[in-house]
Amino acid sequence: MANNKANTLNNRYNHQIEQLKYKMRYQTQYVDVIKEKLDQKRIKELKKMGQSHQKELYALELETLSDLSYLEIFEAPLIKKLDEKLVWQQRAIAQSLKRGLSKNPSAKEELLAKAQLQKDLALKKNNEKKELVHQKFSARSKTEIQLRGSLIAYEAEKARLNKLHEEKNQALLLENEKIIAEQKSKTDISNKQLKEKIESIVKQKSTLNITDTQHEMNDDVILSLRDLTMKFGGLVAVDHLSFDVKAGEVFGLIGPNGAGKTTVFNCITQFYKATSGTVIYKDRNLDNVLLNDFKVHNVIKEGIVRTFQNVELIWELSILDNLLVGAHTLYHTNFFSHLVHTRRYKREEEILRARAIKILTDLDLILYKDWYPLGLPYGILKLVELARTLMTNPRLIILDEPAAGLNDIETEKLVHTIRKIQKDYKCTIFLVEHDMDLVMEICDTICAISFGKKLAIGTPKEIQSNKLVQEAYLGGE
Amino acid sequence: MENKKTSQLTLLNRFQSFTKHPFFGIFLAAFVMILIQVLGNSGILKPSAVDILANIWIYMIVGLGFTLLLGYAGLASLGTAGFIGVGSYVIGFVFNQMGMNFFVAFILGVVLAIILGTIVGFISLRIEGMYLAIITLGLSEILVEVFKFWTPVTGGVNGVQIARPEFFGKVLEREEVYFILVFFMVVVMISVVNIIASPTGRAMLSIKNSTSAAQAMGISVLKYRLMTFVISTVIAVIGGMLYMTYNRATTPNMWSIALSLNILAAVVIGGSKSIWGVGLGSLLIFGLDQLVLKRIEFFQVYGNASFILNGALIILVVMFYPGGIIRMFKDLSNFTKKQINGIIRSYKEYRYGKQ
Repeated sequence: MANNKANTLNNRYNHQIEQLKYKMRYQTQYVDVIKEKLDQKRIKELKKMGQSHQKELYALELETLSDLSYLEIFEAPLIKKLDEKLVWQQRAIAQSLKRGLSKNPSAKEELLAKAQLQKDLALKKNNEKKELVHQKFSARSKTEIQLRGSLIAYEAEKARLNKLHEEKNQALLLENEKIIAEQKSKTDISNKQLKEKIESIVKQKSTLNITDTQHEMNDDVILSLRDLTMKFGGLVAVDHLSFDVKAGEVFGLIGPNGAGKTTVFNCITQFYKATSGTVIYKDRNLDNVLLNDFKVHNVIKEGIVRTFQNVELIWELSILDNLLVGAHTLYHTNFFSHLVHTRRYKREEEILRARAIKILTDLDLILYKDWYPLGLPYGILKLVELARTLMTNPRLIILDEPAAGLNDIETEKLVHTIRKIQKDYKCTIFLVEHDMDLVMEICDTICAISFGKKLAIGTPKEIQSNKLVQEAYLGGE
Repeated sequence: MENKKTSQLTLLNRFQSFTKHPFFGIFLAAFVMILIQVLGNSGILKPSAVDILANIWIYMIVGLGFTLLLGYAGLASLGTAGFIGVGSYVIGFVFNQMGMNFFVAFILGVVLAIILGTIVGFISLRIEGMYLAIITLGLSEILVEVFKFWTPVTGGVNGVQIARPEFFGKVLEREEVYFILVFFMVVVMISVVNIIASPTGRAMLSIKNSTSAAQAMGISVLKYRLMTFVISTVIAVIGGMLYMTYNRATTPNMWSIALSLNILAAVVIGGSKSIWGVGLGSLLIFGLDQLVLKRIEFFQVYGNASFILNGALIILVVMFYPGGIIRMFKDLSNFTKKQINGIIRSYKEYRYGKQ
């Protein structure tokens, strides 16, 4: 009884520590968001300034052009346009002649003469226009000295404007730095306070001294199944299964069809409640928790995320929004701030959006940011589902047949991505797969099961040479 | 001089960016609604037409709550009319028995709505789809029976009538109530738009699309189903209260299944995932009949023929535009663009011959 009370107190402290840590993370992340925002603002302002300067420069630049290039730049396009127009006119005349001939073949000569007249007229008009254009531009003529003078003026003006631009840039940078430093000092102070609070809570927690011999695990183990049994009526899907998953490794679960692999997954993530046996997990505070007591939607809060055998994305949301659904538990604002879009909610959304974009760029999916999942290739959808799991900074990712339905190239990319995730995000990966090449390639430890019972556990080589496993796959004798 | 020019430019830019903001359309809609009242006052529009439009706006408010339920959480309910009825009777009861007190009525109505919504929400955890629709229909019919037979409060079959509502000692004219209605419309529209674009809206959509994915991502199905039902019921009750303050009379017969079906039809026809679709749908379902068809002789003689038209409309939309008529506009603009390009091409061929 006393132990129970201590446990609840312990849970409460853990919850408080989590909340405070979240607050600290949130504040530090917000500084980055502000930095980026200010940078964008700076670039925008500079661009605006540059555009207005450019207009002034253009007028001066015109003066520096020599007569020949002036003609080339301004007269030649007009002449070309006129030429094109003439071609169109001639085509129209030819077409009308063709039509007239097919309608009235007897008056051939008359029509030909008319067409010739029209052609001549068009040519004449065109030439007149060309003459006009030429006159307009030939009025301008400059001596070499004039040109040199205007060039010097242009260069001087350019240098002056560039200097202005640079000055403005520096001023803006300084201003931004000031704002960021202010924000940083603010967050530093509040983070210090939060740290103190956390320390005091940890002190209180250490006085509790919970003695819990039942759920003890080795230090390097993150997940441990003990005598897990799942029965559906008379059918025993999982039969007294027990194994340990070490932190930081890629753990594979293999077995023939119907061996109960997915059932094991569902028992771990509490989609099914196990008939008997326990699932023990080491949470962020390195306490051992009993996953059997958790509700389905609370498992993710402990850092366990799963994917599904057939892709379960939200079809009516874009890829980016799908990732934000994955971050649902990270939102600490309540419904009423969602109703009126308070500033706090907007900040939270910005931070999480930035994180989603970072993950998408990491996995080379940024191209599909605003796409809807419907119609995208299966390989990309699988990767998006993987990306979605990363949103909550998970410690254990559970993949249910990640390579099902993928072609060779996509599988290769998947292997690459899983390796990358394991290295960069420092998670443990636990997967079920039928593709033996993939399993043997990436797994550190493999557990083989058949009809819910454990056959063997060990490194890929050991599993390959195990007789029981060979029998289960290829049949006995 | 230059300064003035740049300031004008930034104002223009600001306006342009505001036109892209989702609230721009809402304020535009409110402006149009107010314009209708002004036109009615100046005699250009008939007062009866303004009345009909005001009632359509009320059903549109209710429909906005219903989109969250149907389009976002994927829950079909046929109990909407009963909840609107509750709102109207709350106003009637509070005004007749406790004096003109808007605040008491509002709080009582919202509390009742939360209770009703929670009940239906709990039911929805066990039952889905068509069966949920049938159960909510039953609940709505129970409410109608309560309206009929709880005479001391609801006035029985004859219903309840109230005097002109008073607000801080001022008797409100019908036009002034209309402005209250427009205010509530703007509030409800903004709330719905905000909810849709927030984690709450995304959670609703994920429950509709895949319950298991939603649970794996930490979304509690219980919480969000309850929440959706409560929001939708609160909006329906607010719609009922607005109905009562505007029309000042309510009878049990009005809140039967026909109204629930009409609201469902309005949302489905317009487009169950867009607030503008709801507006369009309610205009079609409630307005087409009363504003347009009543002036045609055939429909005056055979009054029920408009129901046939509505039915045909629903069939056509569900068959060809499952996303609602609002989708049709997009397709229509694409189609016209294509046609115009084709015409230009064929003219060029005629004039200049093939290349």
